[in-house]
Amino acid sequence: MKIGAWILWTAVAMAFGVVVLAGYFVEWQTLLELRLLFMRWAILLSATALLLGILNLLAAHLHKVNLQESGWPYSALLIIILLGTLVLGLVFGPDNRVVLSLFEYIQLPVEATLMALLAVSLAAAGVRMVMRRRDVYSLIFISTALLVLLGTAPWPFGGAGLSATFGWLRNWLAQVWAAGAARGIVLGVALGAVTTGLRVLLGADRPYGD
Amino acid sequence: MTFDWVGLAILLAFVLLLLLFAVVGRRWPAAFRRLPAYEGLSAAIERAVEAGERVHVSLGTGSVIGPESAPAMAGLAVLSKVAAATVMSDRPAVASTADGAMAILAQDTLRSAHARVGAADRYQPTAGRMLGATPYSYAAGIPVVLATEGVSVHILTGSFGAEGALVADFGERRHAFVIAGSDDVHAQALLHATADYPLIGEEVFAGGAYLNVGVFHGASLRAQDVIRVLVILAILAGTLLRTLGIGL
Repeated sequence: MKIGAWILWTAVAMAFGVVVLAGYFVEWQTLLELRLLFMRWAILLSATALLLGILNLLAAHLHKVNLQESGWPYSALLIIILLGTLVLGLVFGPDNRVVLSLFEYIQLPVEATLMALLAVSLAAAGVRMVMRRRDVYSLIFISTALLVLLGTAPWPFGGAGLSATFGWLRNWLAQVWAAGAARGIVLGVALGAVTTGLRVLLGADRPYGD
Repeated sequence: MTFDWVGLAILLAFVLLLLLFAVVGRRWPAAFRRLPAYEGLSAAIERAVEAGERVHVSLGTGSVIGPESAPAMAGLAVLSKVAAATVMSDRPAVASTADGAMAILAQDTLRSAHARVGAADRYQPTAGRMLGATPYSYAAGIPVVLATEGVSVHILTGSFGAEGALVADFGERRHAFVIAGSDDVHAQALLHATADYPLIGEEVFAGGAYLNVGVFHGASLRAQDVIRVLVILAILAGTLLRTLGIGL
């Protein structure tokens, strides 16, 4: 029974995957429509999975509150706000001013704060990297970052000549070295993504479980 | 009906190379270059298990139905291996993501790993969870997971944007063993600075091969290398022809 189920899931995944993949290489109206239909199903399933993900999140935090594990008040706060937002959204609709305000005045500022924190974290991480990994790659990394910073930041003194020199250096680094290296990296990532997809398609990787 | 013959030929070449190296790999296993990140991972997991600490696998902020799902799929192979190694410990591995469908796949992977070692009863559905629906809300949830779960090995293998740097940095602040890779070039640069063991380029897809998840993972790296050499030769030939004024 277990072996049968495993074969069935793999066959379904392979069949759907082959149809969607073939749609990229074969221009045939029926195939294109089938691919579009499957993609729409995938979007619907993904939306349903989002709901399940939220329920899972709720279950994890309820468990923490029940056991009064460390940090449980934060979990309780999350549950209250999650349910509160859900009720407000269901009662007033997602376009209501109150619901939109929750995003505008709570979610957006918090996310913007995290983005700002990123700049500080990166500066600290740069220093930490130099302290911990004293190799030639770290030296190149930090030197390049400093040169790009000098070429981008405004110069309050030193004249236009210095600014233009660092600006030219920044462009040279970004457009020649960085762009060339990035293309090589993107090529490697693309090849890795293709083989990962093919492993799933061939049934060698079964992310949907055994 | 029209066919993209070039695309089909490349795809077929990929499939044939994958199958060929999967067969050949059983008799002649591939020797891979050293990658400190994966070399140190097994020892770090052993230390975590012995110390009663936890391994956390972050599958990124990408969606299952987008192109950014590929590194997370590769991450699921790593999760499967890590889960199998920690399943009998006091604190089995946990996984997190910012996508609901990916959270379900993580749960399936963890459940399968538990079942494979005969410990299905120890599986907790909340071990694979969605922390937030947006990249930064996901990042905001990470410090809580790291602190409350007692994480000492923090593996980032999925699609991350700039928020990946924060996710890695939260692990570094806890002095955890942090491996971090993404498919995004800009995120890779940030992870190089924030993580102790950054994964560059296709290294994020190589976890399965280095952790011996299966013969197809080693075959994937070999197939990629062959296609990469062919692509490089094609680029060089194109450059030479264009320099000589011969149009294609």
